[in-house]
Amino acid sequence: MSWQEFVDGQLMMELTHGKHLSAAAIMGQDGNIWAQSETFPAVTPEEIENIVKGFNDSDELAQHGVILGGNKYMLIQGEPGQVIRGKKGQGGVTIKKTSAALVIGIYDEGVQPSECNIVVEKLGDYLIEQCI
Amino acid sequence: MYGGDEVSAIVVDLGSHSCKAGYAGEDAPKAVFPSVVGSIGPSSLADGVKAEGEAEELKRTLYVGTQALGYRRDHMEIVPAVKDGLVTDWEIVDKIWDHAFRERLLIDPKEHPMLLAEPSLNTQQHREKTVELMFEKYRPPALFLAKNSVLTSFATGRATSLVVDCGGGSTTVAAVHDGYVLQKAIITSPIGGEVLTDCLLKTLESTGVEILPRFSFKRKEIRPGEFELVKLEFPNTTESYYRYMQRQIAADIKESVCRVADSNFDESAYANIPTTSYELPDGKVIEVGSDRFKIPELLFNPALIQAIPGMDKSFNEFASVKGIPAMVIQSINKCDLDIRRELFSSILLAGGTAAMQQLKERLEKELMEEAPQAARVKVLASGNGIERRFSVWIGGSILASLGSFQQMWFSKAEYEEHGPSYVQRKCP
Repeated sequence: MSWQEFVDGQLMMELTHGKHLSAAAIMGQDGNIWAQSETFPAVTPEEIENIVKGFNDSDELAQHGVILGGNKYMLIQGEPGQVIRGKKGQGGVTIKKTSAALVIGIYDEGVQPSECNIVVEKLGDYLIEQCI
Repeated sequence: MYGGDEVSAIVVDLGSHSCKAGYAGEDAPKAVFPSVVGSIGPSSLADGVKAEGEAEELKRTLYVGTQALGYRRDHMEIVPAVKDGLVTDWEIVDKIWDHAFRERLLIDPKEHPMLLAEPSLNTQQHREKTVELMFEKYRPPALFLAKNSVLTSFATGRATSLVVDCGGGSTTVAAVHDGYVLQKAIITSPIGGEVLTDCLLKTLESTGVEILPRFSFKRKEIRPGEFELVKLEFPNTTESYYRYMQRQIAADIKESVCRVADSNFDESAYANIPTTSYELPDGKVIEVGSDRFKIPELLFNPALIQAIPGMDKSFNEFASVKGIPAMVIQSINKCDLDIRRELFSSILLAGGTAAMQQLKERLEKELMEEAPQAARVKVLASGNGIERRFSVWIGGSILASLGSFQQMWFSKAEYEEHGPSYVQRKCP
């Protein structure tokens, strides 16, 4: 499967009640986008660098928020070294780290945080198994 | 996905002081009982040497609930389920849940989804163990773990607030934003209701007042209206049980007479304050003076613990502990600049110790002095002491009854497919 198929078929797939994530992407930890949905905001290399640093030391992210494409998400409980979760109003973001990539899912009102977590982290687990 | 039907959920809040359990949708928990158990175990029964080749240690017998604890038994030790805010003994938790479901609520856990309140600083391992124990032993159709601070926030109808939870074992300050706890902004302090009770007990003992637990005496009527105190001896009563029953009485004294001082406690200023009298169960009447204000002052100034006779050893533990106003400022400073103003204007008080008189007013006053100039400080607390004690449970009751929550349950099928670690995704 190509990366774009992963994004369109897996991350952006329809969830249980007709809704889906509002944006998703798979990118390298250096900031290179491997594939993204049309709706995914433009992110800067600094934003990605801060996120990658934040997996091990989340104090910066806690103080200033998780910033993606200019949107600020407040840091909530994640899993150190593996998952970063952020919340913004009714929506939020889940970022899963694999060996070389970041799987990012952004959701809005109508989608539960747990649904986004499951979709993003499941794909992340698969990639980890494939040593990507 | 668990689609809830008419059967209502059960909400359980296991705190360091008491366990609250009841049905979702109700306005107060049906079952409230201590979260300590009486334990008669092999170590306390052993006298003499074990014969060679004897089998492994016998299981201990645990006694749960106010009635069981109130009855004095030989060699019964008091063992807590929760220490430093986290569960330490899972067998005790199991026994407590069993008591709540089978003996107090009279329900079959297999029929009701369970909403469990967890400490805001709960570790991943603890969460997974809770989920595993609940699903494997009790087999509910679904469960959910919600953080204490979030539930308190819901109980007052707010999605964003700073929750100050003054509980029995500890005080926790946590920032909640859009219904989720900001993990890095949680500050805890070991000073809770139980420390205050201990201090009061030591203070009274140092003035020569002996607090006799209820089981250790009986009152004989020698003439109509006049009673004589007869002390009863129970040599096999454990130290921990004796202290536990003494603390029950001291806690009642604390709840009746203690008040928070209006401003910084000054020994000399309160030296001449009129005393309040309190009648102990054995008939003796004691007078409590400035100690009424000195004990709750520990919440604001933990260093005062040095001044309490018998507690000065604890000072080293408490050396780096801050008072509540300092904890609030520290927590807010760890949050993003954008939300700090909103947090200052919605500070919620919860927990049994928060029911102390004048706490809200004093906290508001201290915070207005220490907060940045532009911030508007507002401390909210339910007028009703019962609601403050049970605000976590009440929040759970509200959450579990919401239509929009029914799709969020972690169902048994999902547990069987993915295992306990799935809880990290389903209950973020």
